[in-house]
Amino acid sequence: MGKSFRKRLESGIIHWAIRLSRSPRYRHARKTVRDLLENPKNPYKRLFDSFIIFLILSSVFILIWEVKHPVPAWLDYYDIYFVSLVFLIEYLLRLWISSDLTGELVEAYEKAVAVGRDFRVGPALLRGIKKKLAYMVTPAAIVDLLAILPAYRPLRVLRIFVLFRFLKLLRYTRSINQFVEVLATKRFELLTLLGLLFFVTLTGAIAIYVLEDTHNPNINNLFEAIYWSLVTITTVGYGDIAPVSEMGRMIAMIIILLGVAMISFATSVIVSAFSEKLHELKEERIVESINRTAEFLIICGYGQMTKMFFRQAEAKRYNYIILDKDPERVQEAIHDGYDAIVDDASRHTTLSRFNVKNSKVTVLCMSHDDVENIYITLNAKSIDPRIRVIARASSPKIVSKYERAGADHILLPNQAASTMMVFAILKPIIYKAIHAIFTGQNVALLDEVRVHEHSSLIGATVGSINFRAYHLILIGVQKVREDRFVFNPEDSLVLEEGDVLLVMGHKASTAYFRESSCLNEKGCLR
Amino acid sequence: MSKEQIFLFGYGKFGRSIADDLVEHDAEVVLIESDEALYHEARKTHRFDRCILMDVTDDAALEALPVRVDEQLVCVMDDDHLNVFLVLSLRALFPQSRILAISDSIHATRKLKMAGANKVIDLYAISANRIHNILNKPIATRFLEGFLNADHEYSFREIVIPEGSFLHGRTLEEIDFRRYGVIFVGMIDVELGNSFIFVTTGLEHKLDAGDIIVCIGHDEDLDRFEKAIHKAKEEAE
Repeated sequence: MGKSFRKRLESGIIHWAIRLSRSPRYRHARKTVRDLLENPKNPYKRLFDSFIIFLILSSVFILIWEVKHPVPAWLDYYDIYFVSLVFLIEYLLRLWISSDLTGELVEAYEKAVAVGRDFRVGPALLRGIKKKLAYMVTPAAIVDLLAILPAYRPLRVLRIFVLFRFLKLLRYTRSINQFVEVLATKRFELLTLLGLLFFVTLTGAIAIYVLEDTHNPNINNLFEAIYWSLVTITTVGYGDIAPVSEMGRMIAMIIILLGVAMISFATSVIVSAFSEKLHELKEERIVESINRTAEFLIICGYGQMTKMFFRQAEAKRYNYIILDKDPERVQEAIHDGYDAIVDDASRHTTLSRFNVKNSKVTVLCMSHDDVENIYITLNAKSIDPRIRVIARASSPKIVSKYERAGADHILLPNQAASTMMVFAILKPIIYKAIHAIFTGQNVALLDEVRVHEHSSLIGATVGSINFRAYHLILIGVQKVREDRFVFNPEDSLVLEEGDVLLVMGHKASTAYFRESSCLNEKGCLR
Repeated sequence: MSKEQIFLFGYGKFGRSIADDLVEHDAEVVLIESDEALYHEARKTHRFDRCILMDVTDDAALEALPVRVDEQLVCVMDDDHLNVFLVLSLRALFPQSRILAISDSIHATRKLKMAGANKVIDLYAISANRIHNILNKPIATRFLEGFLNADHEYSFREIVIPEGSFLHGRTLEEIDFRRYGVIFVGMIDVELGNSFIFVTTGLEHKLDAGDIIVCIGHDEDLDRFEKAIHKAKEEAE
């Protein structure tokens, strides 16, 4: 009878687990919650974080206010029920996503079925629960749990646990998080120091207790001795308890010296931890902020080409990050006022740090070295083929290799310069025109004007637009529907929404043309 | 008197392709190189009228070059420092000549100009502009590529208005360049020392025979246009 009940319970549990883990809704809900709580790239996480931070601050404020002033009942209810309830829900959600209990159950079941063994729910369930317990004893989880406790009003002492809500802030503010992370790197040194401090304090406390218990009226028990010892060793020295005998003063002198030594040691450990990590933290911030943008450039190498790239006026428009292996060059870039980090773009881990899934990423390979450029190209394309790669090649012979690697655009600076030189030699007079066009000078800027939804150009024929009056030359029209470029179009060509006009002229002329063809009162964006 | 010669200093990473292009355009090239290996390589091609191996830091040797007043000197030595030095020496020796140079670094551009080069081509400015175009102006990029690629989809052409052309005496406004499939970009002002004026600067001019106009278009259209303007009367469509 008992056996059959257990069997039924076991099969019930496993069926329930299978159903849950196969339900798309369950999986979706789980993913959403995980995203909300843990994915820093999720826009709603910021909102959620701000909400929790507000709850924490308001709760702590109420705690302080309560000391001197009566608190209205509704505020009290808000504090007890609402805040605590939200925290409770948050705690349970975190516990839920900390490990995949049902998934593990199902996996264990499938394994057992696959090898033809009898499946026992017990051990698998125990393993899953152990994992949950392991999460529950992490410091963050304990703080979360303690922060819920103040809701239990009969125990007044629990009110002080509101301060644990303050500790919860740790989770929501990155700077504190990073502070803790930095300290964690020096865990060994700090723990050693703490052990030493504990040992010395206790030794001093026992000594003073034994020596002065009889004739110092302030030291009546071991607790007071420990209190005195700690106050002395940390060089705080309130003076409410002081040694009275000569032996006691000797001990005080010794532990003061030890205390100074230990505090300076602790300071130096923390400072060195920060100076080591500060750099890394800064870089992480740059990467994080660039990842939040919808479109950005990863520029590999800070050399002549990159410098020239930034010198041109249009460069201000981009979100970018410069990567270079050479710390000296990165220093130079930072000195010139650009965001740069030391990293090797040919490594998989480097490029996968970036948010290539949600942002439009373009990689510029600007190095002299073809081997490195090709390697970076391959690396980028292997991470995500959608990453656009613009690479610099040293000679036309190597272009096919870049093409095979998947580069979208290949620059040949040497060849371009040579071609320009031939122009300059053979056609010295119009060279100025060609040079102006190719270097993008304001006087003859090639620019694109998109026929957008608010444009007065929709439905107009090319002949009806007096480009000459705008001091512009119409070079051609990109027809969106046929996806083809019409060079020097006939007057009868009709413009449609989405078409792009390629015009040449002074930068100001183009801007004026763009502005005057816009019907939207708010003005048109590019 | 023979054809105008072009003195090309350097047969390195730039010199090679410039020399090839120039020879293809039937220019007469005198190649000067100071590196023996490169010199022999250039000799082997048998494409140049003259190859000279000399120390370009030696003023006496430079002075001995048969440079005429209106001839162009092109400095594209691989070594940046040597290139600047060469431009400086040439400017002192041939004050009337047109000196062109390629700059391989941002800092060299100004130095070359100060040394006396008339035209300095900045390797990086061109490529950097191309990156900006690729990022923002895909259509402009494709158009510019049409100029540079091997089959020369589009080209620039200087066209002299011939005597007795129907264009003679007409204002720029009146001429329908589009009919011929070409785009009028600007013209060259002979009086103003052969300087080029963009039409976009608000050019108003009555054409005369001997004026030089600059057009872009497909080669065959440009040919057709050049033929058409020789006629005294504009043909009806």
